[in-house]
Amino acid sequence: MSGCPGSRTIDFSENTAQEGSETGKRPSQLRQWPIQMHLVSPQAPYFQGKDILLAADCTAFSLGDFHKDYLKGKSIAIACPKLDSDQEIYTEKIKALIDDAKINTLTVMIMQVPCCFGLAQIAKEGAEKATRKIPIKQVVVGLEGNILSEEWI
Amino acid sequence: MENVLNKEIKQIIESCPEVGRILDEYGIGCVPCSVGSCLLKDVVGIHNLDPEKEATLMYRIEKAIYPDRNVAKPVIDPTKKSAPKKITYSPPVKKLVDEHVLIKRLLALIPTIADYIETSMKVDKDLVLRCVDFIRTYADKYHHMKEEDILFKYADEKAEIIQVMYKDHDTGRGYIRQVVEGAEKGNKAQIKQNMLAYQELLTQHIKKEDEILYPWIDRQLSTAQVGEMFRRCNEADASVGEELPKKYEKFIVDLEEKFLQEVTK
Ligand SMILES: [Fe+2]
Ligand SMILES: [Fe+2]
Repeated sequence: MSGCPGSRTIDFSENTAQEGSETGKRPSQLRQWPIQMHLVSPQAPYFQGKDILLAADCTAFSLGDFHKDYLKGKSIAIACPKLDSDQEIYTEKIKALIDDAKINTLTVMIMQVPCCFGLAQIAKEGAEKATRKIPIKQVVVGLEGNILSEEWI
Repeated sequence: MENVLNKEIKQIIESCPEVGRILDEYGIGCVPCSVGSCLLKDVVGIHNLDPEKEATLMYRIEKAIYPDRNVAKPVIDPTKKSAPKKITYSPPVKKLVDEHVLIKRLLALIPTIADYIETSMKVDKDLVLRCVDFIRTYADKYHHMKEEDILFKYADEKAEIIQVMYKDHDTGRGYIRQVVEGAEKGNKAQIKQNMLAYQELLTQHIKKEDEILYPWIDRQLSTAQVGEMFRRCNEADASVGEELPKKYEKFIVDLEEKFLQEVTK
């Protein structure tokens, strides 16, 4: 096995023995638009004083209960630390979210692949530049949609 | 078993001391507790044992209380999360844990200071009162007030463990009043006895908070509550000014310099 683990081909379609229920409807927990990090403005009313989820693009597709367990009650921004350009803007936006929008907490949700930790790094840099201090949590999602870790950083 | 779960732990241990020994094996120190009014179910729940351990513990307790009963072997619930091996705290709780470190540095010096008071010709009233000032201002006003006014409000305040914490804080204040009275009267025995009692009390108290109470409260906090508590604790800290913790840290450093040298002399 060689190459970038972030783009290595893995097939787990055989993996069907999963607990869970398919019954009932799950409403969307999204309460805003836009959501992409380049498109959102820290001045948006939906960020002011809120708990923010900064999610790597792939997380929402990997995690079965993303809306119910992680998006609910939070405002969101999404980004890909591997493919997105002009990421210094992201750092500045994190700083503005903390200092200007006075967000309550920041939860960074990333995939387990190494390149994804770049998003946690951006969050940390933005937080270091900010004068206010807030709690920051890192949630790491496994490739098969399991939560690998959840910790305050 | 249901009704035993809702019984106070002290009653259970009194009627069946074996239960106390079993709990002790699992690191649950209810026997020496001064209050003992926690319910058995809360005692077990609060320690966040892994499911297998918890089931085995409950099985053994039931067997101890009802030796003749045909108790079912433990059923393990695989869906229950196991306890994390290492305790991690949320940022506001971590700050409180860090404050314990400075308090514990004073506690570590208390036996030496108490001996020094006892053996010196005249009571060093100034030294005693400066220790009292640290305890009243840093440990009590700065630290305990954040626990009482902020942290404990996020838990069920009627929970016995919280009541025990309040009681410990109060008992500690009582000991310190005695220390001050001893210093006023020049009563060395009174100073020594109450300083040592305070040391014993707070050592156990901090251990309970670091290992049991704080992680228990932390597990119940939502992300939004962590953010809110962080802000409120920061506001409380800002209201006393950033000089206060620095001043008391310096006090401890100086005290260590004086008394740790004293020991090595
Ligand atoms: Fe306390
Ligand atoms: Fe404490």
